[in-house]
Amino acid sequence: MEREVLLEVKDLDVSFGEKKKRYDAVKKVNFKIYKGETFGLVGESGSGKTTIGRAIMRIIPTAGGEILYKGEKINGKISKELDHKVIREIQMIFQDPQASLNERAKVDYIISEGLMNFEKNLSEEERLKRVDHALSEVGLLPEFASRFPHEFSGGQRQRIGIARALIMNPEFIIADEPISALDVSVRAQVLNLLSDMQKKHQITYLFIAHDLSVMRFITDRIAVIHKGEIVEMAETEELVTNPIHPYTRALLSAIPMPDPRHERSKKLLVYDPDMHDYKNSPPSWKELAPEHYVLANDKEAQEWVK
Amino acid sequence: MAEKMLTVENLEIKFDLRGKKLNAIRGISLDLYKGEILAIVGESGSGKSVFTKSFMGLLEQNGKVTDGTIMYYGCDDGVPVELTSLKKEKEWYKIRGHEIAMIMQDPMTSLNPLKTIGAQIMEAVLLHQHLNRAEAKAKTLEYLKDVGIQDPERRFEQYPHEFSGGMRQRVVIAIAIACNPQILICDEPTTALDVTIQAQILDLIKELRHKYKLSVILITHDLGVVANIADRVAVMYAGDIVEIGTSEDIFYDPRHPYTWALLSSLPQIGVKGENLFSIPGTPPNLFTEVKGDAFAPRNPKALKIDFIERPPYFEVSPTHKARTWLLDPRAPKVDPPEVVEKIRNGGLI
Repeated sequence: MEREVLLEVKDLDVSFGEKKKRYDAVKKVNFKIYKGETFGLVGESGSGKTTIGRAIMRIIPTAGGEILYKGEKINGKISKELDHKVIREIQMIFQDPQASLNERAKVDYIISEGLMNFEKNLSEEERLKRVDHALSEVGLLPEFASRFPHEFSGGQRQRIGIARALIMNPEFIIADEPISALDVSVRAQVLNLLSDMQKKHQITYLFIAHDLSVMRFITDRIAVIHKGEIVEMAETEELVTNPIHPYTRALLSAIPMPDPRHERSKKLLVYDPDMHDYKNSPPSWKELAPEHYVLANDKEAQEWVK
Repeated sequence: MAEKMLTVENLEIKFDLRGKKLNAIRGISLDLYKGEILAIVGESGSGKSVFTKSFMGLLEQNGKVTDGTIMYYGCDDGVPVELTSLKKEKEWYKIRGHEIAMIMQDPMTSLNPLKTIGAQIMEAVLLHQHLNRAEAKAKTLEYLKDVGIQDPERRFEQYPHEFSGGMRQRVVIAIAIACNPQILICDEPTTALDVTIQAQILDLIKELRHKYKLSVILITHDLGVVANIADRVAVMYAGDIVEIGTSEDIFYDPRHPYTWALLSSLPQIGVKGENLFSIPGTPPNLFTEVKGDAFAPRNPKALKIDFIERPPYFEVSPTHKARTWLLDPRAPKVDPPEVVEKIRNGGLI
């Protein structure tokens, strides 16, 4: 069955600085996100995962490659109409609910700011109605609209952040570490909310995180990114149960499990990028199992599959 | 039983906030033994940081120990010190760093960006060990090597910004060790770090504990980290320890409904396609007196008595006790959630 591709990233390059100081944060990244799925991008700090999210949001310029949304190129120079469409249909949820909400604005304004930019002749009555609706959808009370962000707990603020994205009726949401700053019990609530919203509104997610244990629970497919390159991509269960690339294996071995006997006996795998001998045979994208892609050269591909 | 390092008895801490009293710690008793790693787990606001800060006299101005004692047994002369009786900063200097040292969550804020890391570690060495400068430098290089920093001579001259997050945390640990403490308190030492680095730092703490014969108190909200490192675990909720036992006790045979809830809400446990378990409600307001079991309002299976009377500790085994009426012989039988069975059978991986 051919699934509909919502977003496609082709040979994406992003770099910061110029000439000598140029730093390539994202190198030749390729992936497709299908409509209705949750795609996970996992990597450690400095891997470029957030940079990719921002490039899709058009917050930072790309240095090469293409980003296609519903088949249309959305990076670089685009028409005003397309820009509007993209801003409306792609929304973002941020990591830190303390920093991502305007402290001086009331919740009411924070949630509907985007809406007011798009529907200039929105009546006050209609606006409040939609804010109420968005608040109740994320499990907050309508009277919260007249309060300021500092009056809320971390979990509640993250819900406000989600309501702000939802009110735009987005088709695609980029969630950049949406639960890393939250407590364990609140994490579960926010994750459940995100997956409920997905079922209800058929939203597609790009979920960016460093924690594979969370990703395993929420995503359909995962791409593992290391130093700006995707090293492995597969369906979530396949990736977690049959990791091939040494970096993925190291990441998985580092997840602490709530089982003392297992933890005491486990052997930590350490990934050393110098282990690759790429001088004479550079790596390429290989399908080593059905729908399971790994960045490897020929020799490695043979060894790893064994 | 091993030698005791610290005994906390019936400790109460209250904060004055705009004329209102906040009951942050509500009568905790705890023993810390020599050479063990004790983990304190709890959500934010459960009081785990406040509790350990009181061991070092680092409570905020408006916080006061209103009841209870903290006995410290580790002084060189063998005379126990009652820590809550220390008033002057000068008295605390003998304890802070020298006897009890602390590692904070964010290594960037605990290091001075304007001084080389060598100078920062050496400062601690000179202050706490009677050595001259040359000896102190040699010692500093040794500590750098101990915490796994390669090429210590070159690193000695570098500034914090030249280090990655994990390496900075190693430097912070080196500073704490350089004070030559008996007890090391680690307050969320790996929360700001990547998973692979986190695993390395935890290994380092385990290694140093043996080498320097430290007792370690590890504060964390991550039960996975606890399973990796702790000998004993104390679960805190609303300013109280609700359950304490060895790692095996807590993970394979938990008894308190809050411990059950914490274990159930771990994402490692989740099953794809199903909703993750989440604890209903919010922690109690500590400005008012908590009646009965503090967790009862969030516990769907709470007993009537949970709302009326605070449960005492019931002993499950000599190492394991929990504050819940479920352990009373008269209580009805309530089965732990399936998760517990799953963890016990190693069915997670």
